[in-house]
Amino acid sequence: MRPQHWLYTIPLRLRSLFRLRHVEQELSEELQFHLEHKIEEGIARGLSPKEARSAALRAMGGLEQRKEEIRDLRHIRWLTDFFDDARFALRSLRRTPGLTAFVAITLALGIGMTSATFSMVDGLIFRPYPVPHPGNVVTLVSTTHDSPFDSFSYREYLDIRDKTNSYAGVVANADMEAVGFSAEPGTTPRIKGGMMVSGNYFHALGVEPRLGRGFREDEDQVPGRDPVVVLGPDFWRHEFAGDETVLGKTILLNGTKFTVIGVAPDRFPGMLTFGYPDFYVPLAMAPVFTTNLQKNFFVDRDDRELSVKARLKPGTTLERARNELAVLAKNFEREYPNSNRSRGAAVYTQFQARTIEDENWKFGVIFLILALAVLLVACTNVAGLLLSRSRARAREIAVRLALGAGRFRLIRLLLTESLILATFGGLAGITIGYGVVEWFHSKQSIVFATELPMAIPFHMDKRVLLACVALSVLSALLCGLAPALQSTRVDLVNALKSADVDVPGRKRLWGRNMLVVAQVSMSLMLLTASFLMARGFQHDLMEGHGFTKDHLLMTRFDPRLIQYNAAQTQQFYKLLAERMRETPGVQSEALTQNVPLGDDDFDGVAFVPEGFQMPPDRANFNSTMDTIDEGYFETMGIPILRGRAFLPSDTAEAPRVAIVNEHFAKHYWPGGDAVGKHIHLDSSAGTPVEIVGIAQTIKSQNMGNLTDFVYMPLAQHPVARMVLMLHSNGDALQLVQPVKDVVRSLDSNLPMLQTRAYQDFYLNQAVRGPRIAIDLVGSMGLVGLLLAVAGLYGLVAYNVARRTREIGIRIALGAASPNVLRLVLGKGLVLVGIGTVVGLAMGFALEQLMNSMLFDSGGVDILAYAIVVPTMFLVTVLAAYIPARRATKIAPTQALRYE
Amino acid sequence: MSKPNDLVQGTLDLLLLKILALEPLHGWAISLRLKLISGDVLQVSEGSLYPALHKLEQEGWITAEWKQTENNRRAKFYSLTRLGKKQLESEAANWQRLSSAISQVIRLEEA
Repeated sequence: MRPQHWLYTIPLRLRSLFRLRHVEQELSEELQFHLEHKIEEGIARGLSPKEARSAALRAMGGLEQRKEEIRDLRHIRWLTDFFDDARFALRSLRRTPGLTAFVAITLALGIGMTSATFSMVDGLIFRPYPVPHPGNVVTLVSTTHDSPFDSFSYREYLDIRDKTNSYAGVVANADMEAVGFSAEPGTTPRIKGGMMVSGNYFHALGVEPRLGRGFREDEDQVPGRDPVVVLGPDFWRHEFAGDETVLGKTILLNGTKFTVIGVAPDRFPGMLTFGYPDFYVPLAMAPVFTTNLQKNFFVDRDDRELSVKARLKPGTTLERARNELAVLAKNFEREYPNSNRSRGAAVYTQFQARTIEDENWKFGVIFLILALAVLLVACTNVAGLLLSRSRARAREIAVRLALGAGRFRLIRLLLTESLILATFGGLAGITIGYGVVEWFHSKQSIVFATELPMAIPFHMDKRVLLACVALSVLSALLCGLAPALQSTRVDLVNALKSADVDVPGRKRLWGRNMLVVAQVSMSLMLLTASFLMARGFQHDLMEGHGFTKDHLLMTRFDPRLIQYNAAQTQQFYKLLAERMRETPGVQSEALTQNVPLGDDDFDGVAFVPEGFQMPPDRANFNSTMDTIDEGYFETMGIPILRGRAFLPSDTAEAPRVAIVNEHFAKHYWPGGDAVGKHIHLDSSAGTPVEIVGIAQTIKSQNMGNLTDFVYMPLAQHPVARMVLMLHSNGDALQLVQPVKDVVRSLDSNLPMLQTRAYQDFYLNQAVRGPRIAIDLVGSMGLVGLLLAVAGLYGLVAYNVARRTREIGIRIALGAASPNVLRLVLGKGLVLVGIGTVVGLAMGFALEQLMNSMLFDSGGVDILAYAIVVPTMFLVTVLAAYIPARRATKIAPTQALRYE
Repeated sequence: MSKPNDLVQGTLDLLLLKILALEPLHGWAISLRLKLISGDVLQVSEGSLYPALHKLEQEGWITAEWKQTENNRRAKFYSLTRLGKKQLESEAANWQRLSSAISQVIRLEEA
């Protein structure tokens, strides 16, 4: 339409929409005017008033038809039709409140679960970074044989920043870490989460601070010179009550004075998936915060602690950036062979980064698939219900068709009804979605056993709500289309004649049967999934971890929080261990850097085994390691298989020693004895370390396989953050006060972190955490089963009702109960059988998927199927049996009377 | 209910536009005027008149206004818009072309 048209037509259309009654009135008036003149003309020609009137009406071809024709011409007809249909649908739905409620709830369950799991997948993978133009922010990583996602060192970062052309800005950040924070000097520091970032962090990412400013480049130049800090938005609100005069204030971080120069805006909670930093400090202030004690953060090229992100320059392709970085990595390899041998570098998009960095997203995807299955079951259920409903309305539909309604028009009417239902379902579904997400949030403390500000990133935000809406519309179409199409393909004559429209035809029931098969198979798949998941986690648990878990108290220390230097730290731990050993009630003590099955990343050690010829592309091998003291193996109940544990004589001056686990020993010296052999640190020319003992292999990481492990003594491998483990003679928690007393006697300022019974910690990690996943999947399985059962029950009951007369006749003619049962039940059981077979196939496929993504248990879990399949079969047969039994009780006389 | 076929509908549009180009009229007057001018040859069935008028209104070629007639009754008067005038010109031109082409064919001598 040409624009000038709009001047005339838009007011018209708006009028038809909003002043419909007025417009209709005018139409009647206009036609009435014409009619009256026509009648006058007739009378003038000599007809009687009555004759004149009927002649006039005939000439006009009927007023109502003319009006309808005119209405059809209004270009907004489809919209007014929609409102009419909606009103009609609401009225007829209100007449059957039970059915409406059931359908709405069914859809709500499906839509709710799907939107909740969508929020998971969104939070874990798709949600864009909270910065302007997030699409061109890429992640740079260092790659090795063992890891596709390694960090860079400070020196490497500087080189990348200065020697590349593809980026409009390259930023770096260290991991968020525990920092001792005091608002006033003299108060005990509290643990908060801080993050070191490069000077250009805020500027390059495009984050405008809400108050004050971000860092300047020059503030990140000289190590230790500029103690400035930018606060995170939530932290500012909690700690400083949103006070705007916080700028220029001095706070203490790890005992050092820092000046607040800015506050980050609300819309920038941080670039991490799970963590929300309380504050940001420049990389140059690294000496104040815990970095690797063995290395010099600013100098050592192999002290890799930085994550690097960058903004691609407009016009630069990802390909070009990748090539450029690969070349740079090659240069590093050449110039610094000791630290960069066979190390590459890669550039990842957001999607790649999020899916390569860790595995959590896989759970989200599995959950999403399962939730979609629930939605499918719900939709098929509703479709079945709508089919029955439309059969009941067959007469009404036939009348409409006879009166001249087009088939498309009728389909629109029926679809509008399912759209209304889906809208109810969608709204309720959003509520359910919120509920599920809130439930996740309530479990946060189980998942994150830390004082750091970490949270589960699932939210019902705009994107998820949009997905909800789309799902509702999709469900409406899924549920409503087939019944609408089928019910309008009606044989008019038959429909108008009798109440029972169903002509026994093979094709007619095919759709309904498919629905039942789909439902049974989907819910079988869901039940299998929940079973498999439970078993998978249990399998993991049952593997017997190989160490004591009870009677253990654990508590963490980090003396750097109160600015201890290395010597003070070592002294503290030495005294702590001594005093704890002498404390009554303590059977044994241990110090370890990381607890088994804990959240933390274990340190790694790079080494070359004595006498090994390294392949040309590798400088060294890698193994996970832990730093411990002499009491570790005894306290944790881990047997030493050969050789010895660490002794007090393994001091800093003594020759370096290490203990390896059996897995390591078998790996590198399969035929011989590892005890007495040496490994060289970092390269074949590195410090030799003698292996003095072999410990039994324990399971140190959740959901992982058994791996190589190296232990080093604290005296020779100083580390700042250690966990004190105490084996108690009685209950573990009895020892809390004695520990507090000892620590206070050593230094009253040092905080004790995460003090608890190891048993508790273990339960959270290994049991309660997985339980969350199991509960979620289990509830989906249950919902799916309930829906399928309801669907089957409905189908059989409907069949019985439909064929009441026929069954009555059969019984009157002498059919026995079993025959009647067979008649009614037969088809249903066949469908259940088919559904079971299909469901088995799908469950099997799902198991392979879960194995490849999550558990790696390999093979098929027969027990799962052996339990799930018969249960499912039994339940569904029961659902079919109950209404079928009622069929046998039909009194023939009543049935024949039924019309 | 039958819809008028395209050729008849198109011609009717042309007639209506032309009549309204002369002066604004209401529906009844339009049907009278048509009968008068064409000498009773063109009798528009009431069935097609009002749908056609409303269609022209929806397209923006004519516009309507409720006014008092000479008998002091309320009626809906239609009048041509600027766009309608242009449409009239183009449709009239089309009609000329069509009718002269048909005339050419008719005038051919039979063998």
